[in-house]
Amino acid sequence: MTMTEDRPSGTRARHPVRWIATVALVVVAGLVAVLATRPPASVAEVDSPLLGNLAPTLSGTTLSGSPFVLPSRPGHYVVVNFFASWCEPCRQEGPQLVRFAFEHSRTNDAQLVSVVFDDTDSSASAYQAQLGATWPTLRADGALALSYGVRAPPTTFVIAPDGRLAAEVIAPVTASDLDQVIATVKARRP
Amino acid sequence: MSTTLRGAADPMARRAADGDRKRRRFPWWTLFGVVAVIALVIGSGVLGSSAPTAGQRALAIETDIRCPSCEDLSVAQSSAPTAVAVRATVQRQIAEGRSDQQIESYLESRYGASIELDPPASGWTLLVWLVPLLAGVGGLAVVTTVLIRRHVTVLDEAAAGDVGSIGSVSDDAELPTDPDRLADRRAFLVRSLSDADAEYLAGDLSDRDYLALRRRDMKRLAALDAHGSSALPGPETPAVLSAAGPAVATASAVTSSAVTAATAATAATVTSAATAERPRRGRRSWWFLAGAVAAFTVALVVAVTQFSSNRLPGQTPTGSVSLSPSQQTEETLAQAASDEDQGQVEQAASLYQDVLDQHPANEVALAQLGWIEFETGHSTGDRSLLADARAKLDRAVKLDPQDYAARLYLGTVLLQQNGDASAAVAQFALFHADGPPAALVSQAAPVIRQAYTAAGDPVPAWLPANS
Repeated sequence: MTMTEDRPSGTRARHPVRWIATVALVVVAGLVAVLATRPPASVAEVDSPLLGNLAPTLSGTTLSGSPFVLPSRPGHYVVVNFFASWCEPCRQEGPQLVRFAFEHSRTNDAQLVSVVFDDTDSSASAYQAQLGATWPTLRADGALALSYGVRAPPTTFVIAPDGRLAAEVIAPVTASDLDQVIATVKARRP
Repeated sequence: MSTTLRGAADPMARRAADGDRKRRRFPWWTLFGVVAVIALVIGSGVLGSSAPTAGQRALAIETDIRCPSCEDLSVAQSSAPTAVAVRATVQRQIAEGRSDQQIESYLESRYGASIELDPPASGWTLLVWLVPLLAGVGGLAVVTTVLIRRHVTVLDEAAAGDVGSIGSVSDDAELPTDPDRLADRRAFLVRSLSDADAEYLAGDLSDRDYLALRRRDMKRLAALDAHGSSALPGPETPAVLSAAGPAVATASAVTSSAVTAATAATAATVTSAATAERPRRGRRSWWFLAGAVAAFTVALVVAVTQFSSNRLPGQTPTGSVSLSPSQQTEETLAQAASDEDQGQVEQAASLYQDVLDQHPANEVALAQLGWIEFETGHSTGDRSLLADARAKLDRAVKLDPQDYAARLYLGTVLLQQNGDASAAVAQFALFHADGPPAALVSQAAPVIRQAYTAAGDPVPAWLPANS
């Protein structure tokens, strides 16, 4: 009472709790609005620190036992897919990778290379055979996965013809997703 | 009864006068703080100066790095394949002679800054470091202020005494008229006073609480006695009192005079003790508070600098927040080397050039940029680039004759560009004399062997066979 009486006439009583509650409400509402209006992560392209740099050397032994080395300047787009047979999202994207490989085998403008991640050779071979994969698949190599900064399967990279890493996707991809990513990269690099 | 009341008057004086006892009891928490600080300092290893072993370095890095495929585990804690791969890489790079910073920088270049378990102390994540610190300091300030105010209030109340009010308050509305109940109430109050004395002397009651309890019970006792004499007036009083028993009669008789005397004595004791001790106790408390604040601050600083990351001997406690010019140069060189290792040759060349723009006589940048220019010129046939490379390598060797890397590069250039095997052999001999790491010797062995063979010299024994 005394405080109100002491206050100069014309000023309104302050309600700190009300103000704090209002600010908190506005912040929460803003947060909800931002989260609710984010674009759906259909293609979860991530901002890898490797993007724009020369892709780490992609070499190893294929599941069939042949040595494989990707040239530092491949001259065409290369899609590198880290996968495991136990990984359900990898199984989900498998048929799409077959489709992508088939479509681009005719135009010869993109190549697909798979790398086994945290899986046995036998399981991975059986899965690839069942899938009908005809592209090279490298055996699991922790150092190779580390050089690409892979955390979990499936993780897919797109290497540009000049050998630079153009995109990283950390979700199941479809053939059209990959085409879209390549088109975007082409648009960025005329 | 009189003994109890006299005892009730004594505790403040006894506690105030018995300084030795107080001092023996009071510093326990300060001692605890000092022991905690000493334990923190010793445990942090800041006193140790021995260089860490490769295993200790690897463990320190692995503790700081997040397991790539785990939620909140460090590489050291996880057995996931990604963590195993990181551990292998860390150990391999340590064996190759990389610095901790280079290794962490390499991992960061693969996984991003989130691979570090400690958030970077810059940008928005700086708040993560600052908020607990500010909260701690703020909380300490609040606690200190409250303690000081409370202490001052107790001393003021003790000095004021508040004698006059005793006896003026009455709880007549609740006071019984039955002599038995009066006697029970009185005995209860006397026991309460006695208990308060005992608890105060044992240190279980603060000055403030003891004074409040004592004042309350004394008031009630005085009111009880006043009520007893007014409620039972006339000639019946002695009969009632004698019917209540000699103890009550004695207690009543003693109390009416003793309470007044005891309260006056207590007030006098409290006042004189408080007045005499006030400045001394105030200063002492300030010293204890200052000691506590200092101990807490030291503990905080030690904890933040030691436990925020695994600092190793030779590293600065503040990390790399503020770098000296020479540290900045080292940082740039480390970054360039990391880029070069990752195949980002153009970026590395740009960074080496940045160093040379600032320090034209930096032999490391000269040697490394010279080598990059040689490799590029060799593959593209660019003669001017090859000439630049040769000039840089010559200068690097001249600036630092003990730089084994520059010797190796120059020897290779002499062999592959100029076809001068003898001159190359001379450089390789100096390269070996400069004590290069075994891994580098092994890597360069084919070229060195080729030079010795072309020059017609016997292949030296220090060169690994068929590597």
